[in-house]
Amino acid sequence: MTLRKLFLATISAATVMMASPSFAATELQVQRFFGACDADFGKNTDVTKAVGECGIITSLINKFAADNPDIKINVTTVEWPGYDQLTAQFASGDAPDIVTIHESVLSDYQSKGLLMPLDDVLKTVGLTTDQFTGAAKEGATKDGKIYGLPIDNWTMLYHVNMDLFKQAGLVNADGTPMLPKSPEELLAQAEQFKQKTGKPYFVQNLANETALFTRNLYTYLFQQNSDFFADPKKAKFNTPEAKKVVEMYKAIFDKGYTTKNLDYGGAINAFLAGEGGVQLNGTWVVGDYNAQSEKAGTALNKGGYAVYPYPQLFSGAKAQYADGHTWAVSKKDRSPEQTAAIGKFLKFFADNDFEWSRTGHLPAYKAVMESAKFKALPHRDTIAAIATLGKPLPSAVQRQFAIQDIVGEEMSAAVTGQKPVDKALADMESRVNELLANL
Amino acid sequence: MASHNSEIIGRSFGDRVLFGLVILLALVMAGPVLYVIALSLKDNKELMVDPHSVFHMPYTIKNYIDTIGTSNVFSWVFNSIIVAGGLTVFTLILSSLAGYGFARLNFPGRAVLFVIVLLGLAVPEQAVLIARHQIFSWLGLHNSYPGLILPGLSSAFGVFLMTQYFRAIPKELDEAAILDNASRFRVFWKVLLPLTVPAQATLGIFTFLGAWNDYFWPLISATKKEMFTLTVGIASTQMNFAQSQGIGFLMAQAVFAGAPILIIYLFFQKYIVTAVSGAAVR
Repeated sequence: MTLRKLFLATISAATVMMASPSFAATELQVQRFFGACDADFGKNTDVTKAVGECGIITSLINKFAADNPDIKINVTTVEWPGYDQLTAQFASGDAPDIVTIHESVLSDYQSKGLLMPLDDVLKTVGLTTDQFTGAAKEGATKDGKIYGLPIDNWTMLYHVNMDLFKQAGLVNADGTPMLPKSPEELLAQAEQFKQKTGKPYFVQNLANETALFTRNLYTYLFQQNSDFFADPKKAKFNTPEAKKVVEMYKAIFDKGYTTKNLDYGGAINAFLAGEGGVQLNGTWVVGDYNAQSEKAGTALNKGGYAVYPYPQLFSGAKAQYADGHTWAVSKKDRSPEQTAAIGKFLKFFADNDFEWSRTGHLPAYKAVMESAKFKALPHRDTIAAIATLGKPLPSAVQRQFAIQDIVGEEMSAAVTGQKPVDKALADMESRVNELLANL
Repeated sequence: MASHNSEIIGRSFGDRVLFGLVILLALVMAGPVLYVIALSLKDNKELMVDPHSVFHMPYTIKNYIDTIGTSNVFSWVFNSIIVAGGLTVFTLILSSLAGYGFARLNFPGRAVLFVIVLLGLAVPEQAVLIARHQIFSWLGLHNSYPGLILPGLSSAFGVFLMTQYFRAIPKELDEAAILDNASRFRVFWKVLLPLTVPAQATLGIFTFLGAWNDYFWPLISATKKEMFTLTVGIASTQMNFAQSQGIGFLMAQAVFAGAPILIIYLFFQKYIVTAVSGAAVR
């Protein structure tokens, strides 16, 4: 073969390859929060070796990309929660294909017709909603359709320093921590704890914080059967039930049963240093705290670490506020190849939900929840109950992150004494309703 | 050093107290920077368990190695340099020309136009953000350098500063140059502009620093990772709980991010001090 023929053959082959759709990678724009951890997991495709939210999600996407060379994944990591950016992207018609969205935020975008219903896509890859846990299905369903592939459910938990609980005499005969069953019992146990250990019962991040206050309020309103969002456009916070909750947390604050000036990071550091008995934090720290408890010399290693759902303090429904993470898909014109690639991506995450559940979040799939390997993960026996206890706000309530800020600000003002409780609750209700009235 | 000490020792008690206060204030100002550097030299896992470990050994340069090896910090720095540098250059050109026009040229509606420009100082960026975002969407300017640079060019402060500065320069200088047959542009370029260097430096520094530290507009305009500026890029690497996880790595990136500004400060220290003290506006 002459050099000229060889050259022409090469050019022809390259042209055919470039023109053939089967050789062109389908490109997907994926946008997520959970941070960047490229130094540790940037190239890792062995998901079992990854730890933490960032490590596991980075490794999962790497693995998907490695398994599917015909699909090119462009990942953009955004600052948590990334909704300012996402809204701007939708406004400029440049939204990513697949994006992480909280279940509580799905309505904001779905109600404006910006998200694609996933029912058909999921069906084509063999996923049906009866595979989801009840909480995941409820969180991802809007107007009867699925608008996000649920990957977990999360909630706040009682993270317990067992060494301090033993010192305080708050341990049952079976070795489990003695948790309160009423607001009065909570205050009594907190007093006993303080007397015996000289430390506050709670480690709370009350500085620069709104979410914790709000989640606490929602949980104990649920437990009193307070239907504060009976009308999704009109909240009712100025109620006797809300007053009970706020006054309970105010008493905890006033009597020194809690740390006071810590932000989120400070509260974690304080709990790990053994500065208090119970930290109110989410499912996502279970793995880290468990690892600490296994390390000799740490505060949690002395007497152990335990973790439980919020105790039932009121006689109403057994419930606590929960939310979840989903992969949502923006509504736009796509080729069948792109839609198929999205389906593959979502199926991959559904199939690997166990790996994601190692973060501490609860699985979104019944099969994983009921699997032996999930149950074998540390502390899942005590926290699995949140799969049935977990309750989101009604899906029709929009702007839940903005509402969270208002509720948290007002509750913080009441708890820390900057406002009388009644005034704070009245302001909370009027501010939230003003927001909802302007949607 | 000895002569410095004797200088201090020879001072009055009041001066020494003042000197001590200045040192104290300097330490207060330098404290957070030193803390950032110290955090960047600590192992992330150690910091999570014990934040006080920052005050003792062991230290590590792993966070810097990771930053160089895996972070996008250099491309973010590059984008920030293009945006802040471009904005500074164009702002200086436009503000100087506008300032000269308002200070020296007589044209119909000059006073009204100047008042309109000044009104721009009273309009907060947030008030025009949505409209601007929409317009830039229509023009397809998001995720581009022009999209990040253009909004900052309409600098009411720059025009005001330069106008005041040009006004303070004696008109006799223009007249003398015109008598020597210099054109209007030549008077501006060769005679007056060199006299405004202190004001240019002041405006340039403020513009550069403002653009470098800007967060919100890049956040909603530069939504593609390859167009992230430094502020948006560093924020994107934070985990939900960055305060407790990966803080050393975050701080190492912050050190890289702060280095260019520090270098600029070292070179333009005199002008920055003058600018802050307001002495540049005569």
